[in-house]
Amino acid sequence: MSAATGVIKDLEERGHGAFVENVDDDRMVINMGPVHPATHGVLRLLLELDGETVISCEPIIGYLHTGMEKECEDQNWRSAVTIVTRMDYLAPFFNEQAYSLAVESLLGVEVPPRGKYIRTLMAELNRLSSHFVWFGTQALDMGAMSGMFYGFREREVVLDFFEMVTGLRMNHNYIIPGGVWEDLPAEWEPVCRRIAEIVPNRIDEYEELLSRNPIYLERTRGVGVLSSSDAGALGATGPMARAAGVDWDLRRDVAYDAYGDLDFDVPLRTDGDVYARYEVRMAEMRESIRLIRQLIDGMPSGDYKNMDTKLTPPPRSELNRSMEAVIHHFKLVTQGYTVPAGEVYRAVESPRGELGVYAVSDGGTSPYRLRVRDPSFVNLQCLPVMTLGGLVADLIAAIASIDPVMGGVDR
Amino acid sequence: MTGWIESDRWAERARELRDEGWMLMDLCGLDRSGLGRSVVNAGGAGTAGAGFRNAEGTGGLYGPRFEVVVQLLHALKKERMTLHVNAAGDPPTVPSVVEVWPTANFLEREAFDMFGIQFEGHPHLTRILMPDDWEGHPLRKDYGVGKVPVEFISQPLMQIDSPGQSPETVAAERSVDELGQSGPPLRTVEEG
Repeated sequence: MSAATGVIKDLEERGHGAFVENVDDDRMVINMGPVHPATHGVLRLLLELDGETVISCEPIIGYLHTGMEKECEDQNWRSAVTIVTRMDYLAPFFNEQAYSLAVESLLGVEVPPRGKYIRTLMAELNRLSSHFVWFGTQALDMGAMSGMFYGFREREVVLDFFEMVTGLRMNHNYIIPGGVWEDLPAEWEPVCRRIAEIVPNRIDEYEELLSRNPIYLERTRGVGVLSSSDAGALGATGPMARAAGVDWDLRRDVAYDAYGDLDFDVPLRTDGDVYARYEVRMAEMRESIRLIRQLIDGMPSGDYKNMDTKLTPPPRSELNRSMEAVIHHFKLVTQGYTVPAGEVYRAVESPRGELGVYAVSDGGTSPYRLRVRDPSFVNLQCLPVMTLGGLVADLIAAIASIDPVMGGVDR
Repeated sequence: MTGWIESDRWAERARELRDEGWMLMDLCGLDRSGLGRSVVNAGGAGTAGAGFRNAEGTGGLYGPRFEVVVQLLHALKKERMTLHVNAAGDPPTVPSVVEVWPTANFLEREAFDMFGIQFEGHPHLTRILMPDDWEGHPLRKDYGVGKVPVEFISQPLMQIDSPGQSPETVAAERSVDELGQSGPPLRTVEEG
């Protein structure tokens, strides 16, 4: 708490940009970003430096703001999925999943078991692909360029599977309120098993590259430390919090979708530095593989989405025979379904932490208010606490370990 | 659990909640102008909404157009709580809880940016997502998505359809609508 309130005092006294005038000879004000290879997107940092030491650091965001929450208010409940999926673009399935869980809560509908398993499978694969990007970019930021190639090589394998299932590599629009849009293709199982077979070996390679690498250890151990009390006060979740010793994982502690049936561990470290976050994410990837194996083995048969015709258009074959089916189809395509008035907050454990959706319905066919609590947005506030008094090079390591996705930060 | 609270009690209540172990997970604005004189009444975060409760049933708690909706989490008890803080006045004003939960810093700035809700005591209440010189608060219900002026409208093209036509007559025949789209005048259905 102490460090966090220190930062706030800092802001209170100077405000952003205002202190530029008071700079003396030793101090330098530098804008890092918004276009900078190490800021992971259009993040701008207003830095005050004393030589190489960071005296103050203020993240300035909004360069990727496209008003998605407002846009959702003009879509119907089904088509708003196409917008939320574009928020955190490295973890599209989690956006869709959180949104769908919220809408299902308002509707009071159940997802059939196969739908739940498919969702969970896609989410865990997505956690892998997101962590691969994190691995690649953070390795690159620390100067290990080959890490970038490795991370993106494995990510490609997972994205190919996503393309096979959903038709798209990103922004899938696949998880919808009531289940998933399409069933898995016939040849999904061997491909999935192959991924579960390849990836652990590749993670071994990653660890060979970095885990005992003296340069990497020097750059990450004791760097960008976030204590567990600071993590709690600043609302940090996900690997950020778990690396600081906060034992909290929504998959285990709230158990949405199929997670209640599955057996897995939540990796935990207590150092709270960049290296601890590295270890947590590496261990999470291995846990994801464990989950994926269980999901393949336990995949139930049956419906993959709720077949209530008030929610899901009837199968095309019925349109030729049943007037009812034509009416339902027409109503759902032109108008969409209505959602009972009320409000709900549902959260999922995204690769970056708690991704929450707060939805308000006025009983109509489109969201009255849709709010997405993106973990990157909240976690980014930890950056000043983690970096003050450190070197600029440590700042780079700290940004990489937060793993912010600006699409999610700015929405 | 869902609760409503008046803004003058919010700062004090927030301290109590923090001391009881509640963490601030989310804080956002809500413009209730389209919801009429009723209160969103959910059975609690994470459960199905139970519909709207009438203003009469709230014991006079219901009032202003804007609310700040707060999501709290108690990790030990594994419970969530949704709190609605009434933001009365013009501009709508609510005490800031940055001192209580530092994570409210960005969240309150976003609610200010999107709804124009003032957070009294916030150390640095400026726009966070929109540009600093932006006018209006985009997530308010009276801020339409279609109200942004269209820039760089193309000028109508002069096109000659058949040989021998002069540009002047072509220009006279063609109408230009307000969006700058050029084209032949809309044909009306001929009678007979």
